[in-house]
Amino acid sequence: MRLLLALVRKDLLVGWRGRARLVGLSTYAVTLLLLFSFALGPDSTTLHEHAPAYAWVAILSASTLLLAQSFQQEVEGGALEGLLLLPVSPTAMFYAKALANLLLLLFLALVLLPVSVVLFGLRPAGSPVALAGVLALGGAGLVAPGTLYAALTARVKAQQVLLPVLLFPLVVPPLLAAVKATSLLLEGDPMHQVGTWVGLLATFDVLYWSLCGVLFGRVVEE
Amino acid sequence: MTGTIEGGWPYVIAAYALTWVVWAIYVVSLVLRGHRGAP
Amino acid sequence: MRWVYALGALALAALGTGHAIGLLVAPPDRAMGETVRILYVHVPTAWTAMLAFTVAMVAAVGALWSGRPGWDALLEGSVEVGVVFNGLLLCQGSLWARPTWDAWWTWDPRLTTSAIMMVAFTGVLVLRRLLHPPERRAVASAVATIVSFVDVPVVYLSVKWWNTTHQGFSSVETVDPVMLAPLLTSIAGTTLLGASLLVWRTRIAMAARHREDDAPDLPPTPIPLDLEASR
Repeated sequence: MRLLLALVRKDLLVGWRGRARLVGLSTYAVTLLLLFSFALGPDSTTLHEHAPAYAWVAILSASTLLLAQSFQQEVEGGALEGLLLLPVSPTAMFYAKALANLLLLLFLALVLLPVSVVLFGLRPAGSPVALAGVLALGGAGLVAPGTLYAALTARVKAQQVLLPVLLFPLVVPPLLAAVKATSLLLEGDPMHQVGTWVGLLATFDVLYWSLCGVLFGRVVEE
Repeated sequence: MTGTIEGGWPYVIAAYALTWVVWAIYVVSLVLRGHRGAP
Repeated sequence: MRWVYALGALALAALGTGHAIGLLVAPPDRAMGETVRILYVHVPTAWTAMLAFTVAMVAAVGALWSGRPGWDALLEGSVEVGVVFNGLLLCQGSLWARPTWDAWWTWDPRLTTSAIMMVAFTGVLVLRRLLHPPERRAVASAVATIVSFVDVPVVYLSVKWWNTTHQGFSSVETVDPVMLAPLLTSIAGTTLLGASLLVWRTRIAMAARHREDDAPDLPPTPIPLDLEASR
C-alpha cells in the first residue's frame, strides 16, 4: 500500500515537473468548449441545455492526450524494467498509474467546470459534493481503460491515433452515465433519477477497474 | 410500424445484392492474400 | 483444406436455397410489406458476426493462456470475419430502416451497439497492423479483444437505459412458420459461410506468422526462395 502511494506520488511529481504540459492541456480543453459554442452559434438555450455533454467531450479529448503521455517515461527511459524489479505486482502498478491519471484528469475537470458554468450560463442546482463525486466516478470510468490502452500502445508510433480509436468505444457507457448524472445535478432532478445513473456509473467503474487491473499484468510482463 | 410499407422492393434487392457483393469481394481478397502468402 | 471448400459449397447451397425462398416464395409481411425479406439476410448476418466475435474472445483467452501462435491466428481470422459481417450488418440495417422508420439511422440500442462493436473490433485490427514483434502483438490484441467483447453487452445496456424510447423487434415467437423456413436456411448457410471464411482467413494468418518468424531480423537480406527446404 505504501509502495502504491509512492508510485502515485512519483507520477504526480512527473506531472508537476511537466506542469507546462498540464496548462497546455487545460487550455486545449477550454478552447474546445469555446469551439462548441462557435459551432452551434450564439443560441444560448441550446448551449445551456447540452453544457454537460460539451464539458465531458472536452474532458475526454484532453484525456486521450494526457493518457498517451502517461507511459512515455517508462518506455523511453527504460524505467519500466526498473519498476518491474520492484517487489510490487503489476496490478498494483496499474492502480497507481490509473489513480495518478485520475487525479490529473480531475485537475483538468476543475479547470473546465467553472469555465463551462460561465460560458454556458449554468446555475448549479445540486450540491458541489455530489458533483465532485460524479466527476470522480466519470473520470475513473475513462481512466481505467485509458491507462490499460496507453500501456498497450506505448511503443506504437501512431499512438496518438490508435489510442482514441481503441478507447472511445469503451468509454461510451461511462460517458453516457456521467453526462446524464452531471446534467441532472446541474439542472435539477425532479424525477430523482440521478441515483440510478450514479449507480450505473459506479457499476461500470467497478467492472473496468477490475478487468483492466487483471489484464494489465499481461501487458507489461513481456 | 403502422400499416403496410409500400415500395420496399428496391431496398430488398439492394440489401441482397450488397450482401453477395461484399462476400464476393472478401473471398477475392482472401484468394489474393492466400496466393501472396504461398511460398 | 479440402473440407473448407466442402463447407463453403454447402454454405452456398444453403444460402442459395434460403435466399431464393426468401425472395420468391415467402409472402410479404402484413405490417412490414416486402421489406421483411431483408430480415432473411439481416438476422443471419447479425448472428454470424456475434458468433465470430465470440470465437475471437475464446481465441484471445487461449492466446493469453497458452501463448501458442495458433490462437493468435484464430483471433486474427475471427476478428476480421466478424468486422466484415458487422459492416454488412450496419448497411443492411440501414436499408431496412429507411423504408420502415423513414430514417437511415436511429439511436436504437441495437444499432448503436453494433456500430460501437464495429469500431471497437476494427481498432483491434488496426492495433495488429501497427504492433511488432508478433509476441507483443498477440498479447496486445488478445487483451483488446477481451475488453471489447466485455464492452459489447455493457454498451447495449447503457444505451438502452439512455434511450428508453426504442421500438420492439420481432423475435422468433412472432415469426410466421412460412417465414421461418427461409430464415433458418439462411442462418445455417450464413453460419457455414462465416465458418469457412474464418478457417480460411486463419490459415492465411498462420502462413503469414510462419513467414514472419522465418524472416531474418534485419530485412534487407534477400529471402531464400526455397523457404520450405531451409526450415
